[in-house]
Amino acid sequence: MSVSVSNVFLLNAAAGKAEPAELLHAITDKQLADWEAEWAPELLSSLQRLHRTGVARARWPQSRHWDWRRKATALQGMLAYPGFSVVCAGVTQGMMILDVATKRCRILSQGGKNLVYVWFVENAPWNRKELFDPPRYRGVGSILIRAAIELSKDLEFQGRIGLHSLPQANSFYANTCGMTDLGSDPDHQGLRYFEMTPEQAAAFIAKGGKT
Amino acid sequence: MSASKKTMTLNLTDTEMSALEDLCSKKELSKTALLRQALRLYQLVEDRIEKGDKLFFEDKEKKEKAEVMML
Repeated sequence: MSVSVSNVFLLNAAAGKAEPAELLHAITDKQLADWEAEWAPELLSSLQRLHRTGVARARWPQSRHWDWRRKATALQGMLAYPGFSVVCAGVTQGMMILDVATKRCRILSQGGKNLVYVWFVENAPWNRKELFDPPRYRGVGSILIRAAIELSKDLEFQGRIGLHSLPQANSFYANTCGMTDLGSDPDHQGLRYFEMTPEQAAAFIAKGGKT
Repeated sequence: MSASKKTMTLNLTDTEMSALEDLCSKKELSKTALLRQALRLYQLVEDRIEKGDKLFFEDKEKKEKAEVMML
């Protein structure tokens, strides 16, 4: 099966300039190999650094236990759960799995319409500001959210997306993405639920998804 | 964003077409979008049931659950 690819750009923070990257409309074996061989060792050494410098566990990356190979393998071939990834400099910089079948809007004005639910989204460890200052590449999260919006439009969901946010990402979804914060969800480990209306999606795209 | 697509002809009875059009109106989706969504859901439900899971409808107010029998 061929993988659809879009050309995008990431900001190389050290160089202060844009760098060409690719948005893959899939999570392939290459991404999972990158996760195992590049992300996992970097995450482990970052966690060791945080631990040794006395940083509280509450401030460690909350997605640190995610197993992308297990997730991708379990969902392989399922139309309801498409995956996306961003590659730059030959290495996977971010991955995302969506649920496009089972979730409905919670914002009353949207009348329970279908949306694209962002199930899992994660940056490579070196792109995370809580681990690296400055992060290597900026813009991965915005590109993946933009991809979720575009898929929502392609499915005729008009750009509606929703997600439960890990606490470290609340500000990104509220401020950078301009999503509506519907508060803590007791059915989802108390994580805050955010939703984007078609109007908010259009506003996000209009500003170029800039951080 | 869109992947290449293939075209098919679908034969429906008047009743089926009426149901499809009602759903399209309610969901604000085209017939194609609605049927693609139905396929995604059907594949998901079949996959879970093949793995031994059960499908339930729950009445949140009455706290009642009813299993959906998939044939």
